[in-house]
Amino acid sequence: MLIKNKFDTKKLRRTVIDMAYAGSSVHIGCAFSIIEILATLYSNHLRFPGGNMLAENRDYLVLSKGHGVMAQYACMRELGWLPDNAFINYFSDGSELKALSDSRVSGLEVSSGSLGHGFSVGVGLAMGAKLSKSDQKTYVIVGDGEINEGAIWEGALFAAHHQLQNFMVIIDDNGFQAMGRSCDVLDLGSIQSKFESFGFNATSIDGHDETAISEAINRLQKSSSTAPKAIIAKTVKGKGVSFMENNNSWHYTRLNADTHAKSIAELSGDKS
Amino acid sequence: MRQALSDSLVSAAKNNCKVILLTGDHGYGLFYEFRKHFPSQFLNAGVAEQNMVGMAAGLARAGYFPIVYGLSSFVPIRVLEQIKLDVCHDNLPVIFLGDGAGFVYSFLGTSHQSTEDISATRAIPNLSIYSPADRFEMSSVMDLALELRSPCYIRIGKSDVGDVHFQSLNLSKDDIPACSISDSSISFIGTGSMVKMATQLADEFRASVYSAPIIKPFNKQRFLELILNSQALITFEEHSVYGGLGGMIAEIISENCPKKLLRIGVEDRFSRYCGSYQYLLKEHGLDIDSVRLKITNFLNINHNQY
Repeated sequence: MLIKNKFDTKKLRRTVIDMAYAGSSVHIGCAFSIIEILATLYSNHLRFPGGNMLAENRDYLVLSKGHGVMAQYACMRELGWLPDNAFINYFSDGSELKALSDSRVSGLEVSSGSLGHGFSVGVGLAMGAKLSKSDQKTYVIVGDGEINEGAIWEGALFAAHHQLQNFMVIIDDNGFQAMGRSCDVLDLGSIQSKFESFGFNATSIDGHDETAISEAINRLQKSSSTAPKAIIAKTVKGKGVSFMENNNSWHYTRLNADTHAKSIAELSGDKS
Repeated sequence: MRQALSDSLVSAAKNNCKVILLTGDHGYGLFYEFRKHFPSQFLNAGVAEQNMVGMAAGLARAGYFPIVYGLSSFVPIRVLEQIKLDVCHDNLPVIFLGDGAGFVYSFLGTSHQSTEDISATRAIPNLSIYSPADRFEMSSVMDLALELRSPCYIRIGKSDVGDVHFQSLNLSKDDIPACSISDSSISFIGTGSMVKMATQLADEFRASVYSAPIIKPFNKQRFLELILNSQALITFEEHSVYGGLGGMIAEIISENCPKKLLRIGVEDRFSRYCGSYQYLLKEHGLDIDSVRLKITNFLNINHNQY
């Protein structure tokens, strides 16, 4: 059963801002670049039979770039999978939701944040589904900085060699990593041609255009190619709040009363 | 011992179609039977160990029982973080087989020798650690591992030093099996390949010899009984004296019943030269003559009464 609700991405961002303010947490920019990707996946693509996030034959969503997990929490709140007090009490002593993805939170498939792990776990999930002749799909979200990690490319070789057509990686290509522009830190060149040369069926899109994201997913999933799939989502780190956009300090900066209020003011109103 | 491992793997695959054997392009001969009979349950992940272990976690999440094989320099050492985060954090049923532990690859140098693997893995929660000494222990630890449904590391060292037991074991009933019992109160406790040497020195020192194939979770009560009943204790392992069996016994002793302990093992150094396995043992002071001397000196200084 598809979950049909279309998320309000401004509301998702407000949730992120409020929880980041409540917890005095960082990584807001990392979460904002994947809001539309997650909203689209949850709204139109991920299958949770019976609406059950733990259904055995569910599709798998692996957030390998665990730093963006606040965006996923925000979606899970809309789905009714996380209670409001988990957000109000973010980072309070003894609370469950961490700054990075933790698989012990129901609805999160893996523990990530140490980068380059979730991709391989996702390859294993896809391989398992293939061996079991299940039609489950695996979606893995990685950051462009994250794909500096060698394990990503080990996994890419394996996924292509075994023609894991049920495996899709979405690269959050926001152009930044922790200490600067990705092209200045360790230049990746063309991410699309890299994945293509590893045997992936790859395409590049605007990662904030929900229609484009959804169409790209559908196009790749319906393709007759048996190759694994890659979507390079061009995104803006900090997307949605003017003073955060493409300002890498919001990888680390904490909100104060002023920046919190300004962020909420920019994000108020209905859908983006 | 390798035959026992191969037999256990074949039988595991036969009993459960969800058992998947993964290798990082190692084990050509070892897996001959397995590949012949269960090719669909065998995956060569290529020379890509990090991905192999992450995938094993994914396969376990998808309902499979992965057995991950590598040389112990790579599994667990190269992939320690994947073992910790991807597998152990969620207590997933993955068996890690680390082959060639210690100085098995005596000609290959430091890259293929591992004397730190027990120490490195001991501090990872949820991970059981087994270190069999002969074919009987190998079969029994494989039985334990397959029943666990939680992660474990099986350390496979020099496999052709000969048996230390006379018959099949059930380690779930007797987890510190005695190889020989003497009438003195000197106890040799060994693990893996070095148990054999302990048995070879037992008579001349009138020592009892115990094998410790289960490093974690260890049976503290039984170790304590053994320690309390011994006047002199000597541990044997082809592993660093830091954090392995000797370290573990030292921890138990220091918290419960302080007494002198001699840890026979690798003295915090890499191999300098190459040569036969026997040569390397000698370079590290782990050949039988060097070990005899260490024990004699220890007993003379601390235990004149013997």
